[in-house]
Amino acid sequence: MIIPVRCFTCGKVIGSSYQTFVKRVQMGEDPKEVLDDLGLTRYCCRRMIISHSDLLEELIPLG
Amino acid sequence: MDIDILELTETQARFKVTNTSPEVINALRRVLLSEIPKMAIDVVEFHLGPIKDADGREFESVSPLFDEIVAHRLGLVPIPTDLSMKEKDKCDCGGEGCPSCMIGYSLFKTGPCDVYSGDLLPLTEGDASVRVKDELIPIVRLGEGQAILVYAFAEMGTGKKHAKWQVANGVGYKYLPSVKIDASKCDNGGTCIPICPKKVFAKEGNKVKVVNEGDCILCMACTDENICKTGAIKVVGDPTKFIFEFETDGSLSAKDTLMKGLELLHQKFEDFKEQVSTLEA
Repeated sequence: MIIPVRCFTCGKVIGSSYQTFVKRVQMGEDPKEVLDDLGLTRYCCRRMIISHSDLLEELIPLG
Repeated sequence: MDIDILELTETQARFKVTNTSPEVINALRRVLLSEIPKMAIDVVEFHLGPIKDADGREFESVSPLFDEIVAHRLGLVPIPTDLSMKEKDKCDCGGEGCPSCMIGYSLFKTGPCDVYSGDLLPLTEGDASVRVKDELIPIVRLGEGQAILVYAFAEMGTGKKHAKWQVANGVGYKYLPSVKIDASKCDNGGTCIPICPKKVFAKEGNKVKVVNEGDCILCMACTDENICKTGAIKVVGDPTKFIFEFETDGSLSAKDTLMKGLELLHQKFEDFKEQVSTLEA
């Protein structure tokens, strides 16, 4: 589905970091460093980004 | 209660509180979580039926997500807050909604595209102070022939009612740590160095020294009798001194949040004092 707006556990806004994360990791950066750079210090916020699977594209024709 | 700021940015704060007690510091934590007012989108009106754009092309008002989910996502977007605004039911307008208790936004996008929080436009045009600061939060993705047209209204509220009105997150504190090595007992074996998760100890020459006292989280791993067999390390937390930290979601600055929190706490104590005095009389 689409990336959640906030971290489920602590409530930090993480939605805006997802695209930057994906882009920078595709460019070959180390995911750990990108997450640190984006200010995602707690592991609850980090798992939101790492474990997300972007499947919204598949739902568009069903809208 | 004395506060020394250690680190203060727009959205993060870390400070040392001295001359206080665990009860007071926990009260501050709870006030920061659930009592600070902020703006959040609470009412969302969806346009249903066909939507026409400026060129006269027709779109269907559908999206891959349910309207309820879109409304919920809009609610979670941090809205810049002016603390002088009032809660809707305490406002002079009597809960009808007026510029001093409500901010209106419109959102119009036609597919195929991604809809972001930055596409929310304030209804009072040209008012840059109420534009959403974090413009990259994805709201929904639209396909060919799909469009979204909504009017969203933000209201003042507190975290007690819903987490979308929660300003501070990651609010926490620890006792100010004090780590001491008794040089007369220490055998300088260095077993405490790898066991410490925060790298408080290091070897300087032949001696084990405390190099990072402030980072200690009082986990007591180093004082375990299987680690420090001589019992040379003494770790204590001082229950009158605390390291406190929190961050905000960006709707209010960390400084404003802390000031408002302390003000509310003070007010609560005053109210309580007054109520106790009526009991005594």
